[in-house]
Amino acid sequence: MAPIFNYRVGALLGKEFGQIRRDRRLALVLILPPTLQLLLLGFALSATVTNIHLGAVDDSRTDESRQLVATLSESKSFRLVRYYVSIDRLGDAISRGEVDAGVVIPYDYDKDLQRGRTTTVQFLLNAINANTAAISQGYAEGVIESYNAGLRAGGLHASFEPIGAQDYSHQGQAQLHPAYLYNPGLKDSWFIVTGVLGMLLILNSCLVASAAMVKEREAGTMEQLLMSPAANSEIIIAKVVPLFVLLFMTAILGAAVMKLAFGVPFHGKLLLVLSAAALCILSGISIGTVNSTFAKSAGQAQLMAFFINPPLASTSGALSPVEAMPKWLQAFTVVNPIHHFAVIARGSMLKGSGFADLWPNFLGLLAITLVLGSVSVWRFRKQLS
Amino acid sequence: MRRIFAQSRKELTQIVRDWRTLTLALVLPLALLLLVSSALSLTVTDLPIIVQDLDDSPASRDFIDAFRASITFHVVAWPVNKQPQQALVSNQARAVLIIPDHFGRDMARGLDAPVQLLIDASDANTAKLIAGYSNRIARAFHKTAGSSQADPVQAEIRFWYNPGRSSKKFLAPGIFVLALSMFPCLLASLAMAKEGEQKTILQVYVSSITAHEFLLGKVLAFMVVAVAEFLLMLIPMFTYFGLGIAGDPTPFIVATVLYAFCVASFGIMVGAAIPNQAAAIQAVSFGGFLLVFLLSGLMFPIANIPAGIRWISFFVWGRYYIDIVRDAMLQGGGWPATWYKVAMVGLIGGIFYAIAWLTMRRMQLET
Repeated sequence: MAPIFNYRVGALLGKEFGQIRRDRRLALVLILPPTLQLLLLGFALSATVTNIHLGAVDDSRTDESRQLVATLSESKSFRLVRYYVSIDRLGDAISRGEVDAGVVIPYDYDKDLQRGRTTTVQFLLNAINANTAAISQGYAEGVIESYNAGLRAGGLHASFEPIGAQDYSHQGQAQLHPAYLYNPGLKDSWFIVTGVLGMLLILNSCLVASAAMVKEREAGTMEQLLMSPAANSEIIIAKVVPLFVLLFMTAILGAAVMKLAFGVPFHGKLLLVLSAAALCILSGISIGTVNSTFAKSAGQAQLMAFFINPPLASTSGALSPVEAMPKWLQAFTVVNPIHHFAVIARGSMLKGSGFADLWPNFLGLLAITLVLGSVSVWRFRKQLS
Repeated sequence: MRRIFAQSRKELTQIVRDWRTLTLALVLPLALLLLVSSALSLTVTDLPIIVQDLDDSPASRDFIDAFRASITFHVVAWPVNKQPQQALVSNQARAVLIIPDHFGRDMARGLDAPVQLLIDASDANTAKLIAGYSNRIARAFHKTAGSSQADPVQAEIRFWYNPGRSSKKFLAPGIFVLALSMFPCLLASLAMAKEGEQKTILQVYVSSITAHEFLLGKVLAFMVVAVAEFLLMLIPMFTYFGLGIAGDPTPFIVATVLYAFCVASFGIMVGAAIPNQAAAIQAVSFGGFLLVFLLSGLMFPIANIPAGIRWISFFVWGRYYIDIVRDAMLQGGGWPATWYKVAMVGLIGGIFYAIAWLTMRRMQLET
C-alpha cells in the first residue's frame, strides 16, 4: 500500500489549490458570508424580554395605586405606555398590539390595603409568544413580591398593618437565591453564536463541497481525472483537503468573531473546539459529496441542499434548547453533528468542560463523520465506475 | 389575457413534470412546518436538576418534593461525594438546588432559610425560566405549608390568546410564513433564471408577448403554487397545531393573495436580475430564508434586534404577513389591527414586480 500522501496526491492538490486561487470568488464566498451571518444571527436573535409595553387601568386612582404602577414601570422590564379608562379599552389595545401587557387595579385597592386585607391586581399578558409570556409572568410576580416585601417592612406604607398578624405563629420561609453560573450577565448571544457556528460550518461545507464536486462533472473534466494514474481515493483526498483548509479558516475566523464581537469567554481549551469544528467540516463535506452524486447540475445540487439543511439546523438545538423539543425529536439529536458541536462549544467555551466531560459528544461526532465519510466515498466511487 | 394564462400553464406543466421541484413545492413546506414548529420552541419542560440536601429534615424533604412534583423539573440522582457543579459541567443537569444545614430548624423558628440554586446560564433564556419556575414552586410551597404571611397584593395573571402558553401556536404561524416565503420564490427564481441560462428568454423577446404579459403569466403560475402550499399547510395548522380562525377572516384572505403575489414577484425579480440558477438560489436563500427568518419576529421579538439593523425589518415582507397570520389565527383583531400591514405586503410586492418589469423592459426591443 502506497503512502497516502504521494506525488500523485501532491500534483492533484496543486491543481485544486491553483483552481481555488484563481477563483477569487470562491474564497470570498467561503469566508465572508459565514462571518456576516454569525454577526447578524448573534445580534438579531435574542430572547431577552425588556421594555414590555404596559397599559394600566386604575380604578382606584389613589396614591397607593399610582405607586404600584410606578413600581412596575420603574423596573426595566415594563414601560408604561398609557392609562386606559376601562378594561375593554385595554383589551382593544392589547388586541391592536399597542401594549403587550395590562394591569388592572380594583377600585377598592387602597381601602383593602389600609384594612390589611389581601387585594388582587389583575395582569393581562398577550401570550401569543409563549416564551415572552412566561418571562413576563416571572417579572410581574417578582415586582409584586418585592412590592409586598416593601409594604410588609412598612417602608412604603406605615399604615399597612395586617390584622391579626400576631395571631398565627410566624413560620420562616425558604428563600431561593439563584446564582447564574457560566454566564452571569445572561447574554443570549453566547448561546446563539456557539450553536450557530456549527450550523454555518455544516451548511457551508455542504454547499461548497457539492458545488466543487458537481463542477468537475458539469465541465466534463471528471473523465480526465479518471484517466490519470491517480486512484479514486487519491482524487477524493485531493478534492477534500483544499476545501477543508479553507473551511477551517472560516472556523478560526468564527471563533475570533465570537471572542471579539460577542465577548464569549474561552474557558476551556481552544483545541477541543477546533477539533470538533474539524470533524463538523468533514461531515459537512461528506453530506455535500453525497448530495452532489444525486444532482446533475450546480443548481440541482443547491436545491437538494434545501432538503437537508433547514431541518438539520432547526432540530439541532443550536437556536433553541433541546429540552424544549418533543421527546421523539430529541432522540434524533444523537445523529446530528450540529448538536454535538453546539454541546462541545458551549461546554468548552462557557463552562470550561474538558475532554473528560465531553467525550460522549466527541464520540458521537466522530461516529457521524466516519459513517458519512464512508457513505460519500462509496457514492463517489459508484459514480466514477 | 389569453397569453398570460398560456404562459402560466406552461410554467405549471414544467413544475409538475420534475419530481424534484414538485416535492420542493408541496412536500417540503409541510415537512418544514411540522418539524421546525415543534423543534424551535423555547419553553422547556422536564429539565434535569440535582438536589443536595445537607439538612435531611422533614421540612427539607417536603421542599424537595415540591420540586419533584412539578412537570418543569425532574430530579436526577447525584452522589453526595461529588461536587454538584460537576453535573452542570458534564451536562447532566441544568440546575442544582442546595439546601443548607439547619434549614428545617430555621423554618420552624420563624427565620428565613436561604436556599442556593445554581443555574447553568450558558442558555440565558432557559436560565431565566428556571429561576422564574423555581420561585413559583417555592411560593406555592409556602402557601400549602401555611407559613406564608398574607400577601398584601396578589397578582392574578391571565394569558390572553394563548392561555396554554403553547409554543407551537406561536411558532407555527411563523414557520408557515417562512415556508411560504421560501419555496414559491425559490421555484420562481429558478424558472426565471433557467430562461436566462438556457437563452430561451430570447424566444420570448422575439415573440409578440409583452413584458407585462410574460411576467404576469409567470407570477400567476407561482401564485398558484403559493396558494396550493397555503391550502395544504392550513390542514396541519387547523388539526395538529389546533389553530383556528379568530374573528374576521377577510384581511387574512386578502393578505394571502397579496403575499402570494409578493413572493412570486420577488422570485421573478431575482431570476430576471441574476440569470444563473446557482446564484439565484443563493440570493433567494438570503432574501427568502435569512431575512424572513431573522428580521421578522418569527422566533424572537423584533424589538430585541439592535437598532442598527432593526430598520431593515421595516422592508422585510414576511414581517407583516406573520403579524397578519398571528392576528387572524390567535388574536382576531381584524381590519383595524392589520389594514396597514396588508397594504405594506401589497406595496412591497408591487415594488418587486416593478423592478422585475424594469429589468425585462430594458432587455426587450422597443416596438
